[in-house]
Amino acid sequence: MQDKQFMRETLFEGAEAFKAGRMNRRSFLTLCAMAGVASSAVMVGDAEAAANEIVMWNWGGQSEECHGNAIGKPFEEATGMPLRFDTSGPLQGKIREMVDSGNVTADVCDGDLFDAIALGPSGHLEAIDYDVVDKAKTLPNYAVEHGVSIILYGYAFVYDTEAYGDTPPNSWADFFDTAKFPGKRSLYKWANGSLEAALMADGVSKDELYPLDMDRALAKLVAMKDDSLYWGSGSEAHSMVVNGEVSMGMVWQNRGRNIEIDTDDRYKLVMNEALAMPGAYIVPKGNPAGREAIMKFIATAQDPAAQLQLLECLGMTPSNPEAFAMIPEDQQPYAITSAMNIDNVAFNDPVWWGENGGDAVNAFLEAIS
Amino acid sequence: MIDSLRKHVSPGWVLVAPFLMLVVVLYLGPILNILWLSLTDPEPGLQNYQKLYTNDTLLRIIWTTFRICLITTIISVAFGYSIAYAMVHAHKKRQKLMLTLLLVSFWISILVRTFSWLMLLGHNGLLNNALETLNIISEPVAFVRNELGVLIGMVHYMVPYAVLPLLVNMQTLDTRVMSASRNLGATGSQTFFRIYLPLTKPGIVAACLLVFILSLGFYVTPAILGGGKVLMVAEYISVQLLVTLKWGTAAMLAALMLFGVLALLYIMSKFMKLSTVFGGSTS
Repeated sequence: MQDKQFMRETLFEGAEAFKAGRMNRRSFLTLCAMAGVASSAVMVGDAEAAANEIVMWNWGGQSEECHGNAIGKPFEEATGMPLRFDTSGPLQGKIREMVDSGNVTADVCDGDLFDAIALGPSGHLEAIDYDVVDKAKTLPNYAVEHGVSIILYGYAFVYDTEAYGDTPPNSWADFFDTAKFPGKRSLYKWANGSLEAALMADGVSKDELYPLDMDRALAKLVAMKDDSLYWGSGSEAHSMVVNGEVSMGMVWQNRGRNIEIDTDDRYKLVMNEALAMPGAYIVPKGNPAGREAIMKFIATAQDPAAQLQLLECLGMTPSNPEAFAMIPEDQQPYAITSAMNIDNVAFNDPVWWGENGGDAVNAFLEAIS
Repeated sequence: MIDSLRKHVSPGWVLVAPFLMLVVVLYLGPILNILWLSLTDPEPGLQNYQKLYTNDTLLRIIWTTFRICLITTIISVAFGYSIAYAMVHAHKKRQKLMLTLLLVSFWISILVRTFSWLMLLGHNGLLNNALETLNIISEPVAFVRNELGVLIGMVHYMVPYAVLPLLVNMQTLDTRVMSASRNLGATGSQTFFRIYLPLTKPGIVAACLLVFILSLGFYVTPAILGGGKVLMVAEYISVQLLVTLKWGTAAMLAALMLFGVLALLYIMSKFMKLSTVFGGSTS
């Protein structure tokens, strides 16, 4: 129901299943319900920040375990400052509201890099200190003035092998071709990824997507509207596939493994032309722990060991090139920056999204509703 | 002077005053803030309200919302009326059981109900599977992930809200009036349509108002059961606030909803005393 639920969804129920490698439908649905209850419960906010600790504003779920072990522990050992969490979800509107109200309670937000572009110029964010944080420890375009990418997530699709087993689809062009591959499709409801997929399907090269040709993308999406469902959360995307509502479904790539196992390999993940999204750490203006401490914290998160632990725990792909070669073999098919996938994926342009995202989302909603 | 004040102002107001002040400050303050935002964000002027003329999407979303709420209201109140009628005329013991069942469904979280409908009516749901096994259908029927699904979910949620005001209304009716009608030779249906139905009008109006106004704010059900294609005002406001940062548009829509509801109440008040609808005295 909200944009960028990727983090929340992943943390809530992706994590356990991802690690265990399995999750049945009943427990999955229970978790859906719990996520709804829990997310309203945390809205009240357990936000409390003092100068001697770091508060990460993120999406709850397994974060205490995963982020706590991967980044919080080494950081506390080095500085003595513990890591705490506010799990109410740092959506752009909430960050803006927090800074405008003058009561800033979070030190770092687990958000998107385009948030940094959208909120930076209006003075809502601290600039990243690139004397402490290393620009070389992320992908070239993913270190911007007010945010730096720590992990990547992505939009890929899964398909039904029983429907298309003989000639499996392998690109967004196949995904959008309902004549050659009859059946229903599911796409992300808040435009991200869906627009890029439509353009790639229409023949735009994955390296020349931006600036997005909105008219062209929307025309492609509208042409398939009658055969499309749209999901607003990762759990919804997951259930649309495992319940057989769609025969091809766009999903967050790290769910691919869950879905393959959940359906006994009936559904297969296609990583070709997946869209890589830079998840980013951004700092609200006037964060309680101060700029110096939080920059050190972000630098800790750039460490390959920390990033690989997040991959193991949550399926989020490292953005530090040093870590690419260290991705374990069983994670390689699902990781965006593994050797087998990195040349086949498209990379999101956070600058375009930061500047045009609002209008793009509204135009997309107008087209699909 | 105090005496003359006492003559004009009932002492009850003194007791209520602190709470009244609290409500005014905590309730009117934020509302005025929203109105202010709708006139000043992103820049001062009426351009947010102008969008209602220039932006077809907004009109379409408002129309979708209005249409769905209206259909929900009609169906919920019709169901609610029959349920309330049955309850009033049931044996005392059975009446208690019915009320319990009604309240149980009233208290179940909207999320649980919404997901339950998905499991029952979904593509691989109980109903579709059963119908397919019985060879009644060859392809699963699309009950959910469309406007039909939204209506099913909303009506199910709203029926208890329709029953309760109707029940209160029906319980206070003087049954001797109906007996007199029968005694004077009216048939059962004549008695119902000419005596019973008019007497329950305040209950019907209250149920309609309650259901319609609550329906306007629906957010979870359309988002999940609509398959992304049924966009209602509440969800759109949330997107404009949290994702696209168009707070002016969001505030304008919120103000529009508020004035829409107030206008509705005003129009109703022209036709009947609103205090009777909300359980006040009929005199």
